[in-house]
Amino acid sequence: ARKFTDKHEWISIENGIGTVGISNFAQEALGDVVYCSLPEIGTKLSKHDEFGALESVKAASELYSPLTGEVTEINAALADNPGLVNKSCYQDGWLIKMTV
Amino acid sequence: MVLQSSLKNCLQLSCILRTPKAGFRSTTSGGLIIQSTSNDVYQNLAVEDWIHDHMNLENRQVLFLWRNSPAVVIGRHCNLRLMRQKNIKLARRRSGGGTVYHDLGNINLTFFTTRKKYERMENLKLVVKALKALRPQLDVHVTDRYDILLDRQYKISGTAAKLGRATAYHHCTLLCNADKFVLSSVLKSPYKGIKSNATPSVPASVKNLFEEDPSLSCEMLLDAIAEEYATQHQIDHHITLINPADETVLPGINNKAKELQTWEWVYGKTPKFSVSACFNMVYKDSVLDVKVDLDVKHGRIEACNIALPEQWLPPALCSELVKSLTGSKFCPNETTTLATTLLRVCPQDDELHSRWNLLCDNMITLM
Repeated sequence: ARKFTDKHEWISIENGIGTVGISNFAQEALGDVVYCSLPEIGTKLSKHDEFGALESVKAASELYSPLTGEVTEINAALADNPGLVNKSCYQDGWLIKMTV
Repeated sequence: MVLQSSLKNCLQLSCILRTPKAGFRSTTSGGLIIQSTSNDVYQNLAVEDWIHDHMNLENRQVLFLWRNSPAVVIGRHCNLRLMRQKNIKLARRRSGGGTVYHDLGNINLTFFTTRKKYERMENLKLVVKALKALRPQLDVHVTDRYDILLDRQYKISGTAAKLGRATAYHHCTLLCNADKFVLSSVLKSPYKGIKSNATPSVPASVKNLFEEDPSLSCEMLLDAIAEEYATQHQIDHHITLINPADETVLPGINNKAKELQTWEWVYGKTPKFSVSACFNMVYKDSVLDVKVDLDVKHGRIEACNIALPEQWLPPALCSELVKSLTGSKFCPNETTTLATTLLRVCPQDDELHSRWNLLCDNMITLM
């Protein structure tokens, strides 16, 4: 099940690992994403911590952790293809995975 | 000192009053116009951070006016390597976008609102309206890339923005009388062979408003914009002067200014990039091909490869160099120090020393 924060990030939990991304509303508001700044694997995050930023043609927009945990994976595809966040925000445009 | 300058402005110009004010946070709701008394880019960027982090903008909006002594300011995700710095302050701001040159002939405007009310076009139209009220004959308009153009061709303003949890800010430059010679030389990007996903900086033809109309000054522009903002927000025509070093008005501000000056923020935030270069080194009467590959992440050399003609330098020494460079800062000073240290453990061999220095000098030109 996908859960949404009031800041339009979503988290989907399976076997103790949560996948985090932004909602369709958020990606539309952001405009075309040109760069994703994501944390290192192993970074410990508390709920509401800033964990990175998305830069779009509109602005640099911070990303906030929906839960407390540790980053286990980041979406490497976004380095060369940041537009995935716009095209497929719920699937291929996921941002990070973390323990919850 | 601050009171004098506010009186001076009153006498010189129009109906916009400037006063210093402690506790500006407690002003009435609606809107607030503040101006920095400092020309230090780090202090001024710190004020933006402070307002963004600490002010409640639910019932009011803020316009912040500031100017910096010469500095190059890059966006949050810009690649620093693509720039030439000539003893000019370098700052990385927290908003996105490309690279700009600031000096006292450029004015900076920051529009603070809640995230919901974030609206760049409206802000830029306000600036254009102010300019036209001041000088009706000026041909200025806003493009859909959020630039302001003069005479339909020259960029006089660039825009960037940051969206936070509850607040947002949009800031823009405005060229009044900046040094275009220095501007074009610091913003030139001479380096080829860089691969990176960093936010690109788009070069443009620029012009100063002063060139179009020599009767214009920065102070006049600031006043005109402040007046238009005050009119549109239905607030007093009043600018509050802010000293960015004053901890009593802005608690925690000096830490913010310090953070903006750390190597980790300015250089360490450079997105990952690779450099590949081939040098033709001329040594005595031969020409040597050298190939250097570097992967740089967070401002440090993650991986390094140097391909030299066999036996030109002792292989053990070369592999020591590669080992030392890996993990070190991508920075000419650091590389020079490493190279000098390694050379000290070598025998006093003039030939070796000159070859080594030639190689290292070339490596440093990459940085």
